[in-house]
Amino acid sequence: MKWWLIAWREIRWEVFLDRASLLRMSIFIVIPMLFIFSNRRIPLGTGGDLTLVALAAQSVFFPALSGVALIAATFTAEKENGTLVPLLAAPIRDFDIVLGKLVGMVVPVMLTCAVTLAAAYALASFRYGAPRVASALGPEVLYAILVLAFLYLITTGSITMIVAARVRSSRAAQQVAGLVIALSVFVLGGLGFVASQVAEGWPLVAVGALLVLFDLVALEIARRVWQRGEVIARI
Amino acid sequence: MIEVRDVTRQFGALAALSHASFTVEPGEIVALLGPNGAGKTTASRIIGGILAPSDGDVLVDGISVRADANAVRARCGFVTDQPSLYERMPLRRYLGFFARLYEVSDPDDRALELAKVLGLDDVLDTRLGAFSRGMRQKVAIARALVHDPPVLLLDEPATALDPEMAKTLRSFIVSLRARHRAILLTTHDLDEAQRIADRVVVLYRGRVVRVGATNEIRAVGQPRYTVTFAGDAAMALSALAKAGVRGEPAGASDGLLALRFATDDPRTTNTAVLRSLLDADIRVVTLAAEERSLEEAYMAILADVRT
Repeated sequence: MKWWLIAWREIRWEVFLDRASLLRMSIFIVIPMLFIFSNRRIPLGTGGDLTLVALAAQSVFFPALSGVALIAATFTAEKENGTLVPLLAAPIRDFDIVLGKLVGMVVPVMLTCAVTLAAAYALASFRYGAPRVASALGPEVLYAILVLAFLYLITTGSITMIVAARVRSSRAAQQVAGLVIALSVFVLGGLGFVASQVAEGWPLVAVGALLVLFDLVALEIARRVWQRGEVIARI
Repeated sequence: MIEVRDVTRQFGALAALSHASFTVEPGEIVALLGPNGAGKTTASRIIGGILAPSDGDVLVDGISVRADANAVRARCGFVTDQPSLYERMPLRRYLGFFARLYEVSDPDDRALELAKVLGLDDVLDTRLGAFSRGMRQKVAIARALVHDPPVLLLDEPATALDPEMAKTLRSFIVSLRARHRAILLTTHDLDEAQRIADRVVVLYRGRVVRVGATNEIRAVGQPRYTVTFAGDAAMALSALAKAGVRGEPAGASDGLLALRFATDDPRTTNTAVLRSLLDADIRVVTLAAEERSLEEAYMAILADVRT
């Protein structure tokens, strides 16, 4: 369980005790709330339901975006400051470092996603009426949004890790990873739309499965590029 | 102990290390010397199990780095020129974190013990970002010792330390030798190496060009002597020439002059030199052997390799 030691250190000392991380997360929490404030009325029917689902999805995906900055900063800062060397010298598997850092990003960001979703739900209930919101955002929809956010985080985290292994500064890692992630969001979003038009149920599950497969491949690439020999040659 | 066996490490077309072999015994400090890019850091990273060799093998405590790199890492303590600490963590938590990574049985007790040994027990709960350069290097050493390793790999540990702190660090390294640790000290500070290293390994462009006891390496080459006298320098030079040696000026102080000469046979030559000088009415004050510093020996080795 050495990966958990690394993850817990990240969560405690690099996320919750870092003012910049906390400020970044707070901004990503506030933005979806502003969307709810700016929408005075939600129409009845499918259009209104879709708007509510979109607002709920935004309240999860905006905080999830902060994961890119977080993991880019974590990996490149370790390279820049040389703190990765003592870690690489310790008797731990290469994958423990990758997994530890990924979990160290996923746990606080998922926590933020859940808090933002709950806050957005409460605010929407207050603004549009609890029965209206409850009818559009059932437990299964909320659960699906959180699962998608989790998969999205693994995807963005893995891509950022791969990029962070190749570049020297966290800014460059954020920019390149942001570009790749934005393009992948368009592709996946397009696939999701097509899947929803084809039939109900299984095409969307297929897109989810595709995302899981993509995550597994991205994680494996991240593991390979973060092998000791590869990393130390670039420090 | 460390056994480096015919290790080669390629980075693309570049051989950072080429067929390097040497050993470090328990209770011994070996200085790894060489110009920038000679392969010192690569060698120490391969020994520490951070970097895999392209060819050859390293045994640490009898364990092959190729067969079980994690077991090798568990037996090595690694100190780099930069302390590289997690700035937000307090010392107690930092050492505790690494103690847990190395599976130390009582991590918190070990952190306290090491802090006491290194005189950091009064700042246990202070964030590392607030530490001075010297304190940070002490923390890096504490981190390397957290699992009480039999092998220590010190890569420029005294870089940027003030002379007092560097001396304290040297004393500490020597005390670790007394506790039977095998210590590989990578350094550019030849004075430091001369003071504490039992043996020296010189690397040049990835190859081991000289291995030997520090004293033996310093002694290599023609022994040199200095004669201090009162009298005329030209006459003294002429007297030296009569004795069969070529003298060169070696400075002057307190009204005395000094000449330096080299000889392979001091028993015969020094007697002849003295006799010749006295015959020329030169008042000889001292005739002393010159001790070559490790720096001079190192420069001579490099000059030899380059030609």
